[in-house]
Amino acid sequence: MRRWKILCASAVALLMQLVPRLVLAGGEGLDTPEALERKVPLEGLSGINLFFARAYNENLWLYAIYCTVLMAVVGVVIAFGTDIILKAMGMEVEKIEHKE
Amino acid sequence: MDNGILDIYLPIAGIHFNILILLAIGFSVGVLGGFFGVGGAWVVTPALNIFGFNMAYAIGTDLAHIFGKSIVATRKHGKMGNVDVKLGLYSIVGSVLGVEGGARTVMWLTARGIAGPVVRYAYMFLLFGLGIYMFYDYFTKDKRRARHEALEMEGGPAVPAKKKWDLPPMVTFPVSGVTVSLWTVLGVFFFTGWLSGFLGVGGGFIRMPALIYLLGCPTAIAVGTDLFSVVFTGAYGCFTYALKARVEIIAAIVMLVGASIGAQLGVTAVKYIHGYGIRLLFAIMIVLAGCSVTLKQFNLTTAAAYCVMGAALAMCLIIIVLMIRGFNKEKALKAQAAR
Repeated sequence: MRRWKILCASAVALLMQLVPRLVLAGGEGLDTPEALERKVPLEGLSGINLFFARAYNENLWLYAIYCTVLMAVVGVVIAFGTDIILKAMGMEVEKIEHKE
Repeated sequence: MDNGILDIYLPIAGIHFNILILLAIGFSVGVLGGFFGVGGAWVVTPALNIFGFNMAYAIGTDLAHIFGKSIVATRKHGKMGNVDVKLGLYSIVGSVLGVEGGARTVMWLTARGIAGPVVRYAYMFLLFGLGIYMFYDYFTKDKRRARHEALEMEGGPAVPAKKKWDLPPMVTFPVSGVTVSLWTVLGVFFFTGWLSGFLGVGGGFIRMPALIYLLGCPTAIAVGTDLFSVVFTGAYGCFTYALKARVEIIAAIVMLVGASIGAQLGVTAVKYIHGYGIRLLFAIMIVLAGCSVTLKQFNLTTAAAYCVMGAALAMCLIIIVLMIRGFNKEKALKAQAAR
């Protein structure tokens, strides 16, 4: 136990020594304040990519609603879809019981 | 740039990405999540970042995929009946505030160009800390078992006293059968929500033990309420990051499809793989994920990519092989019994 404590404390101390230098060394420099105002170029886009890119450029509220609703719909479709497929394959989906 | 046939263009993130890698990330997380019962989203943010997503996009996209996955998990576990609705409503308030706080922290760091390294250091701290703890837990299990047996021989195991912070106002949760300080409840959900917004994780690995040990919830209710909380945390995380222009929706959907296939395998594997040894593999996986984040921090991106995907896929392969062996063993035993 004592050995583990010493080992952990040493590892944390070593890491703390390295943090400032490494944070500066690892800077991405890509996600800058200018990039926050970025617009998606629409040239060459079609179908679903164009649809999302247009919503993204024109109205972020709309884009956020699309994203949230779409993920919910895809989640529900997958949840019920896999149930149907597994049942058709003869694998009943069991509920996991938790015992106290 | 020469793109392969399996590369898809992700216009929001502005990068080309191999669809197989996206599916593999989702699949690995699905297998790990389904098998170990934790979300496994701590692999997604580092992996997306390693493969070219800027950190804020990686977190936002991960949260969107967590939201979709939480709906699938809620349906699969069928645990909504075990939700303490009153506690769940408090969880929404605390978690939403926390996620917003976490997301704003990331955007603040992004505006200063240091979101990547800061989040990576947070991941290193989390992954190495968790990994070391799990190694410790694994290698001291015999000593703990012996101590537990000795205590039982002396007249029952000693139950550690639950710490209480009775700072008013107090709130009663009849379904869980507990009365706790409002500040403890909001504090737990705010912190786990902040962690979700900051790291792009579900936060269940902290929320679950906190619900059990800090609030005193029964395990079944903690599981149900945690899932309930993840659905809302994920939904709000997806919404707020999309509003901040940091969700690559196509990538989130592809990963969700991969995760759903993987989760079916993971959940099935639980029936056939037993034993404490598998925890050691999980600890190794966590430490390797930490190593990949460290490699990325040192700009060794190719090595980091091989490390994270190699570890995740190797772990999946081990689970699948053990599952097939367990299945064959069970089949042989059944055949033997029938004779």
